[in-house]
Parts: sequence; C-alpha cells; structure tokens
Amino acid sequence: MNALPFAPSAPLSLGVELELQLVRAHDHDLAHEAGDLIARLAKKKVPGAVKPEVTLSMVELNSSIQQGYGGLLAELEAQRAAVREAAGMLNLRVAGGGTHPFHKWSERRVFPAARFQSVVERYGFLAKQFTVFGQHIHIGCASGDDAIYLTHMLTRHVPQFIALSAASPFYQGEDTSFQSSRLTAVSAFPLSGHMPFVRDWREFVLYFETMRGVGIVESMKDFYWDIRPKPEYGTIEIRVCDTPLTIRRAALLAAYAQALACYYLAERPLEPAAAVYQMNAYNRFEACRYGYGGTLVEPFERRRKAIGEDILDSIAHVMPHAVRLGSAQGLADLSAEVRGGYSDAGWLRAQRGASGTLADVVRKAAERWATG
Amino acid sequence: MQDLLWFLPAWPPEFDEPMAFGALLLAGLVGGEVVNRVLALPRITGYVLAGIACGPYGLGLVEGPLFNEARLFVDLALGLIMFELGARLDFAWLARNRWLSVAAIGESLGAFFAIYLALLYAGFAPLLAGCAAAVGTATSPAVVMLVTQELRASGQITERMLLFTAVNCAVAFVALTLLLPLVYLEYKADWRSALLHPLYVLLGAALLGFAACQLMLWLAKWLGKREDRQFVLQVGMIVLVVGLARAADVTVGVALLAFGVFARNRDFSHALLPLRFGYAGQLLFVVLFVLTGASLDFGFLAQAAGVATAFIVARFLGKAAAILAFGRLSGLRAGGAGLLSLSLLPMSGLAVVMVWDTAALFPAFGTELAAVVLSAVAILELVGPLATQFALRHAGEASAEERA
Repeated sequence: MNALPFAPSAPLSLGVELELQLVRAHDHDLAHEAGDLIARLAKKKVPGAVKPEVTLSMVELNSSIQQGYGGLLAELEAQRAAVREAAGMLNLRVAGGGTHPFHKWSERRVFPAARFQSVVERYGFLAKQFTVFGQHIHIGCASGDDAIYLTHMLTRHVPQFIALSAASPFYQGEDTSFQSSRLTAVSAFPLSGHMPFVRDWREFVLYFETMRGVGIVESMKDFYWDIRPKPEYGTIEIRVCDTPLTIRRAALLAAYAQALACYYLAERPLEPAAAVYQMNAYNRFEACRYGYGGTLVEPFERRRKAIGEDILDSIAHVMPHAVRLGSAQGLADLSAEVRGGYSDAGWLRAQRGASGTLADVVRKAAERWATG
Repeated sequence: MQDLLWFLPAWPPEFDEPMAFGALLLAGLVGGEVVNRVLALPRITGYVLAGIACGPYGLGLVEGPLFNEARLFVDLALGLIMFELGARLDFAWLARNRWLSVAAIGESLGAFFAIYLALLYAGFAPLLAGCAAAVGTATSPAVVMLVTQELRASGQITERMLLFTAVNCAVAFVALTLLLPLVYLEYKADWRSALLHPLYVLLGAALLGFAACQLMLWLAKWLGKREDRQFVLQVGMIVLVVGLARAADVTVGVALLAFGVFARNRDFSHALLPLRFGYAGQLLFVVLFVLTGASLDFGFLAQAAGVATAFIVARFLGKAAAILAFGRLSGLRAGGAGLLSLSLLPMSGLAVVMVWDTAALFPAFGTELAAVVLSAVAILELVGPLATQFALRHAGEASAEERA
C-alpha cells in the first residue's frame, strides 16, 4: 500500500500553475524563446517558480503554497512584474488565453530537455499540438481519502470551471465557435478523461497498481485527467481551466475552487455519485461549446440548468466559507461578471470584431495581461 | 540572302532588360539549387557563384558594368530588403533595453574604428580609410534577411542580428555621408556644395521615407486590414519610393530604411499588417545576388589580399568586442555573443552600391576605395552567408526541418 503514499498537506492550502504564451513583437506569432526568458528570470529573485513546458513557445508560472486569495494574487502580481520586465528586455510579449489564435502547430519547437523529447517521441504531433495554455489549481488535502472525495465532488463543477475560464475561441487561425477549444487538444491523449469511480484512496492505489503493473503508466504524471490527485504534493489538481487573460481572474478561479473544497470537506453534504461521471461528457461539451449559455444536467437532482445560473447558485452556496477564507469580495465580483455575461472568450471575440485580425487580438491580449 | 531574310534580328541579339532579368534569374535558380544539393551550402552562395560563372571571371557571358546597367533591379531588391529591415528597428525595444542600444551602437562604432585604425596602420590615407571603414560598418542586409528566410529562423540571435544590421546600415550611411564633405574638399569642390550635397542626400532620403510612411499609413487605414490589398499597397509604395529616390538623386537605401523604420515606429493605430514578401521578393533577391556575383572584382585581390584580410579581421573583431562587452548585460544568453558576432559578418551588394555611388561622384577616389572594399566583399560574399547560417543553426534558431 505504500506504493503510492499520500503526503498530507495543510487542508485548503492553495497553489496555481499558469501556462503562458510567449509572443513575438513584430508579428504576434508565437516566439521560440522560453529558454532565454527562463535563463534571464533564473538570475532574479522571483517568488514561486518559472518553468519550461513542452514547446519553446510557453512558460509556466508556479505559485508557492498560499493560504488564500489575497496572498495568491499578490504573489502572482509579483511574478507577472518579473516576467514582464524580463520579457521586455528580450522584446517578447506575454499573454494569457487558452490557445494562440493563429500559430501553426507544425512550427513549434520542442524544449531541449530529455523529458519533453520523450513526450514527442511517444505522442508525435499531439505533443506539438499540445501548445495550449491552461491553469492548474492545487488544493491541499489532509488525506488520500479526502483527495478522492474532493475529486468526485469537484468533478460536478468541471463545466463551471470551463465556462468561467473559457479563453480559447480561436484555434489555428479560425473561430472555432467554441468558448474553450483548448480541451479538445487534451482529449486526444489516451490517458485523458477523468479518474475512475473509486471509493477511497485504498481502492485508488489498487487501480494505480493495476495500470502500472501492466505498463500503461509509470507515475501519476501520465494521467491527463480533468482533476487528479497529486499524492506527492498532498493535493488534488484541477486541470480544465484555460489560462485566463488576467492574473486577477486566475486568482479568482483558485479562490472559488478553494471555497468549494472548504464547503465539501467541512459539510460533506453529498455522497459521491456515479451519475456525475455519466453526465460529465455531455456537461463538459456544453461548457466548452457555449460557456455560461450552455445547459448542463445537474447529476444529483437530474434536471437541466443553464451553466451560468448553476455557477451563480454554487457561488452563493459557498459564500459563507468564502467569508471565512477572505475571498468573499472576490467571489462577489466573479458573480457580477457572470451575471453580466463577461467571459474572456467573449472579450477576445470582441477584439477581433473591432479590428478584424487575429494578430491584433494577440496584441491586445498581451496588453491586457501586462496590466489587467 | 540577307535581303530575303530581312525579318531576322541582328546577330548577336541586343541583351535587353527582360532578357537579362530572366537569364540571371534562371542562372541563379540553377546555381542555388546545385550548390544546395551537392555541397549543402546556402542557396545564396549558389546565386553568387552563378553570377561569378556568368561574369567576367567566369564564362564572360555578362561583360562590362552590368551592375550599373541593371541598377534598377538592384535598387528594387535592396529597397524591399531595406524596408523590411527598417521595420525590424524597434525603438521601443531599444528604449526598454538600454544595454541593447549600447551594444548596437557599440557594434557599429567598433567595426568602424577597428577598420579605420587597421587601414591607417596599413598606410592608407585617413580619408580613404574612413570611407572604407564607413562602408565596412554595414552588415549585408540582403544576406541576413535571406538566410533568416531560408532557415525560417526565429529567436533572440536572429532578432538581434536583424536589429543590429538595421542600426549598422544606418550608421554606415550617416558616416559615409558625413565624410563626403571632406572628399569634396580633397577634390577642391566648392565648399557650399560640399556641405549641401550630403545634407540633401541624407535629409532628402529621410524626408521621403517619412512622407511615404504617412501616405501609406493613411491608405492602410482606409483599405483596412486585408492582406491582399496591403500587400499591393506596401509593394507599390516601396517601388514608388525607390523610383522617387532615384529621380531625386537621394540615397535609395536610406530612403527605404527610413521608410521601414517610420512604418514600424509611427504606426500608432496598428493599421499596417506585418507582411512577408515571400516569392515576389525572392525573384528580386536572386537577381540581386547573381548580379553581385557577376560584378565581384577579383582583379584587386592578388595585390590587395593582405589588406582585405586585415579589413575583414579588424571588422569582425570590432563588432565582436562590443557585442562581447555588452551582450550579457543586454540579456543575451551565454555563448550568444559569439554567434551573434559571427552572424553579422556578411558584406555584399549594399557595400558595392556604396562604392559605386561614391565612384560616380569621384571616379579617382572611387577606384582607390573599390580596391580596398571590393576585395573584402569578394571574400565575404562567399564566406558571409556560411557564417550567418552556421551562427543561426548553432543558436538553435533554424526551424526543425531546415536543421535536419
């Protein structure tokens, strides 16, 4: 059973990873300069970490372990300032958003490190097509059983996270008609999808051992699930979000996840239900395609509901916990944005409508990331 | 017989411009392909070799000062290149990264003074050494642009190579123009024209570039962001400015460089689309390099080999010293300074044009200048593209297929 020990962490502690786009100044296509940027940042005192990703067109910001919204936002702002300064020296732009609107995936260059090269060897063109940009949110759990419970409960909220973060309407030069087109790039991987419906950590370890025993996976890293336990950190990791256009929204998404986790762990209002997974693929599609305007099937009550309305209900529901966690004002702002119909995907489409070119969309997204 | 076949043209036929253009194009195409396939060298080297093969040092198919006769093609090709290069001169970047500005200016001045001192040491007159140094300051814009295009290179070394080339071309033009009054005085011209002519050439060209930019921005706004229309607009404006610069007797290169710089830095409402001239540009570039090859002068090389070598070595050391000194401070990665210095080695058609333009004003002085500079060009025309290609590949900035 110690094959996969769960290292407990402070419950409800918080961390995020943000994958960001590196953009060339002169034509706003993706740059290939992650190595130069990371080398430059390595010389500075930057809180958290800045890491490479599979292609040279992306970098990943990692926050350190945070307790709440305020601390997280402050740290992300400090990181952004450092990245902005370093990128400026190299004449690079940095932008949020789940996809680069018009880059050609075949032009991507793989980061020169053994683990990325092996990803390319294994997955071929999928690896370069995986130049998409997501936000991962880590929530600390006291035990493996808590992690399994929370994963099951938050899976019901996956459509909400997709709609709240949706920022990839354009892909390979086209308007996809989706609010989030990024997740289709993830779905192509054989081990994407969701965690199996296991009861507790013991059962999960049995599943993992089986998969490892037959050689399908080597470690937890090989699962590209929407939400996965991360035993070495003692967290669960929500992986469905597009990287938002602003630091603030990234911090708000994390705060919302934290409040939800607090609600479920403190009140244990529901038992895990297989129905969540039966409805998941449909609900997830609705969220990717239509965002707030999509319709999900509420798996516990078995009724249809607009995703926007569902988000507002959930936020209202966890508000008492948000008050305790210090994120009440943030979540109230998030609610107001949902009510107003604001989404990053909508904002990106509006920029294209104003000017007509996707290069302008990237330019404005980069300006927004630098200041918003 | 002759009366009967009166409709046949005279033999040999007159070599008119379309024929020359087509023949040079095909010669370059074949030469580039052969050299690329057989020797795995850059196509540019093949274009140049094809030019040499056609020229007076080869089969002698092209005789005489073809470079001057086909000057229109050369001006158009250099015009296109100077515009694109100017559009890479990003003032905002230079302002944000002060050490980059220092490195770019330092690189130009380093090359200038290194060549100047080397030639003085070799016993040349100061004025001649100064003019040769001014010409040598510039990296070949055509070579760096074409190698970048051929390798589909992108990255910090590539960006800085293009930026530094734009800066050193500007410095070279200014330096050469500032030296002109001294040449005038040397040749006992009126001091008024000694002052007014350089001023006119430089400021006239810059003004032309500025006016063209304003007109183009205005038209671009009106046309909207449609690639097909903006392509015609930009090419049309470039050709027009080349023609106007020729008509006004101002330096074509300066006018187009200024045009490009203004287009990049004054497009506050982002009306212009970033365009690549692709196949259309390729036509002119092939002809440019074949012509440069055909006009290469190996005649001086036997006697001037030593001076040419000193010129090249001093030039490289001058450039490298500044880049090594300020490269890291400006955010260049370890090992990048050496590669960047190497990538800036090429000298080509622009240098030939500068020499010819000076020679047109002062034939005697021009011949002396040609002896020094054109021997170095003859060597660097062949070595330069290789150096740039090597540097960009080793920097890891060539696209994956091209590296394979």
